[in-house]
Amino acid sequence: MVNRKLIKDLLNESACSHNKTKKASCDKPKPGATSGGCAFEGAQISLFPYADAVHLVHGPDTCLGASWETRATLTSYEGENNTPLGYCTNVSTQDIIFGGDKKLADALAYIVEHKNPKAIFVYETCVTAMIGDNIDFTCKTAEELFHIPIVPVHAPGFVGSKNLGSRLAGEAVLDALVGTREPESIHPFGINLIGDYNVTGDMWQYKPILERIGIKVISSLSGDGRIEQIQMAHTAKLNVIVCAKSLVTLCRKMQERYNIPYVSVSFYGKRDTSNAIRSIVNAFGDAELSAKAEAIIAEEEAKLAERLKPYFLMLKGKKAILNTGGNKSWSIASALQDIGIEVVATCVQKATEEDVAIASEYVPIVFKNPGVEQPKLIDEHHVDILLAGGRSLYTAIKKRIAFVDVNQEKKVSYGAYGGLENLASDVCSALANPVFKLVGKAAPWELV
Amino acid sequence: MNLKELKATSLKPLHVNPLKLSQPMGATLAFLGIKNCMPLMHGAQGCASFTKVLFTRHFNDPIAIQTTAVNDITAVIDGGDKGISEAVENITKKVTPDLVGLFTTGMTETKGDDIKGATLLLKEKQKMVYVHTPDFEGGLESGWSLSVQNIITQLIEPTTQVRKDKVLLIPNVNFSPIEVEKLKEALECLDLVVFALPDLSDSLDGHLGVKQGALSSGGISVSDIEKLGDAGAVITIGHSVKKCGELFYEKFPQSTHLHFDSLIGLEATDDFYAKVFEFLQCKSVPSVVKRWRARLQDVLLDTHFTLGKAKILIADEPDSAYAISKALREAGSTCEAYIAQRSEIQEAFTCKMQIGDFEEVEKRLPEMDMLIANYHGERLAHKHHKALLIRGFPNYEQVGIGLRYNILYEGSCAFLCEVNNLLAYH
Repeated sequence: MVNRKLIKDLLNESACSHNKTKKASCDKPKPGATSGGCAFEGAQISLFPYADAVHLVHGPDTCLGASWETRATLTSYEGENNTPLGYCTNVSTQDIIFGGDKKLADALAYIVEHKNPKAIFVYETCVTAMIGDNIDFTCKTAEELFHIPIVPVHAPGFVGSKNLGSRLAGEAVLDALVGTREPESIHPFGINLIGDYNVTGDMWQYKPILERIGIKVISSLSGDGRIEQIQMAHTAKLNVIVCAKSLVTLCRKMQERYNIPYVSVSFYGKRDTSNAIRSIVNAFGDAELSAKAEAIIAEEEAKLAERLKPYFLMLKGKKAILNTGGNKSWSIASALQDIGIEVVATCVQKATEEDVAIASEYVPIVFKNPGVEQPKLIDEHHVDILLAGGRSLYTAIKKRIAFVDVNQEKKVSYGAYGGLENLASDVCSALANPVFKLVGKAAPWELV
Repeated sequence: MNLKELKATSLKPLHVNPLKLSQPMGATLAFLGIKNCMPLMHGAQGCASFTKVLFTRHFNDPIAIQTTAVNDITAVIDGGDKGISEAVENITKKVTPDLVGLFTTGMTETKGDDIKGATLLLKEKQKMVYVHTPDFEGGLESGWSLSVQNIITQLIEPTTQVRKDKVLLIPNVNFSPIEVEKLKEALECLDLVVFALPDLSDSLDGHLGVKQGALSSGGISVSDIEKLGDAGAVITIGHSVKKCGELFYEKFPQSTHLHFDSLIGLEATDDFYAKVFEFLQCKSVPSVVKRWRARLQDVLLDTHFTLGKAKILIADEPDSAYAISKALREAGSTCEAYIAQRSEIQEAFTCKMQIGDFEEVEKRLPEMDMLIANYHGERLAHKHHKALLIRGFPNYEQVGIGLRYNILYEGSCAFLCEVNNLLAYH
């Protein structure tokens, strides 16, 4: 059942910096003026990367039919990878009249028989929440029968935004999985990575570096994650939140329950990656570990500088405007600066107050109305490249400057030191491409 | 198929890797084929968001859509009218749509909202069409068809006049934008004035506009729809939209209804021209039509070596799977089909056919040479080392989907050659 008290608590999260002045993102969505995903999508994004668990959506087919196999969250799991697969009870008119519990129970039995997963997540959706299916009971019964964790996730779309759904997913994991398994030994520098979903392998850009320093990743929520590992998450010494505000409640609760402190970091760009490694290491307060980290940071930065050299020649002195959302408004700006680009301005229309504050430290101009300000800024500062969502393509074509779509599903990782080279390469390609000037050219019959 | 197998598939309590897309998604596409229209999905925000993302990635173009953003509280205390009127108010604050296409989802149908009443209350403020499209019934094709049916009954003004040279063309949801344009051109070539409803040919064809608006960027205008009543003929392509033509004919009995289940392949195109020429009492056939028919005859002979030996598995919407299998069988291929939803076209299939999901598709794939399916078929074809042709929704990775043209003599040539070459170079 949907837990209204929990939702209220999650929306009033004390660890959220914006909780004094309530942000629009936590309000109820406005009819006719809403974009962005629902709570179910948030839960799906947060948990689907567990490749060794089956993710069963209990609802009709819009929820899953349109969304399965859409996110490039990579995994190294050697069994059948369930991340790109879609399981849906596909409730019909009959189920809505007579209740969908029987179908759900049958579906769970089918999955256990044919797939043998480590766990099953069952996602409640609007329709099955509305008809009052007793999902908790059905899951509990099946769990006793099949002896694997069967975890109900109560984040039907209509309870709120994507962000809230992620929080609810975190709660489900915390209540049903964390602390249900004990490891053979406890690592002195064990961490949990929270909120990195390993899209295009972002996590793999920095995880090996952390391991070389001597840090052990106990579990992940949920990029390249495993059910058995998240069950032992309570034995980590530190929670590391990677570029995600939504799971801060989970981390605060783990601090209260298991006495695990948390740090919030970003792995975009050279400076942020180095700083992220430092804040993780500093949290342990171990001199030897810190020294090793510094040595490896120096080594990685030197290697990167060598690799970026050819790009620097082309990118030096180029001016850019950035228009994206949330923490990307500063994290990508910082990465761009690391490859020698001057970021003239960044748009903070869709950023939280905390993000705006950080963005102002990185970039001289922050603006809120891209429709009006973007074209003006491009002219005033002789900008060479616009990095934004597809909507701004028209502005770039009109101004005949290069364009990189930073909101589109990216194909390669921009994370950490290795990803910076990918970013540099993409920006260089855009700058070198004649297409933006060409398609803006007038047709022969338009010339006077 | 033996009884045990039948029992296993039809009683499977879940979809594993679904093939089916939902009714509200079909409705969205239908309303995007109307100029200056705002599709308004009555449901939680996620339904519209998932739909927007899927079509944006499929067409590589911005998709206009809004949602009534029903939440857990309004789901219980609002009969729908408050959320809908608020949505219309918020939309019209920013843009001035010629039409708002209102359609429901599973959740708002479960609670039983009175969308007709809500639309009537807003009559003075905004022109609207309402459609019931719960996602626990039907699929993409029926959502599109139901929307067209309701546009016909709610928008077209009554008239007793008839213009013999005016044609209403109703394509099914599987038509690519350029296919609509090519079919319009083929009819215009016979001196007809053609209106397609819906018309995706200049809204989702991927043209570079002057700026990006918040409404649909092209399509048939609302005033043209209102004046469709005097069309001398209504042409429907695909079984899913047959009902639309029947409905139009019922309302305007002075017109003629011409229906075709498919437009791919020699026989289907022959049937099309035979009926159209008969309706027009046309004696002189345009020479371009003759030339393309002769080319298709040649292509059929050129491709029959490869296609004649090929076993092809098709997973698609019913109308599309029917048309594709019919065309491939003309060149001698052995086909099997999995379709996304129940449809009356099932009766007409000349090859083995079932309703199913990609789990079932994968079970059959090892014995086949080629898979024709949407983007989700890619992983399967790769895994089982089979040739792959991507058709249907969604198609995330390829570009130029809106420009792909597989109907009539000319398009059938391109289709058969493409399949042949994919098989030969696999």
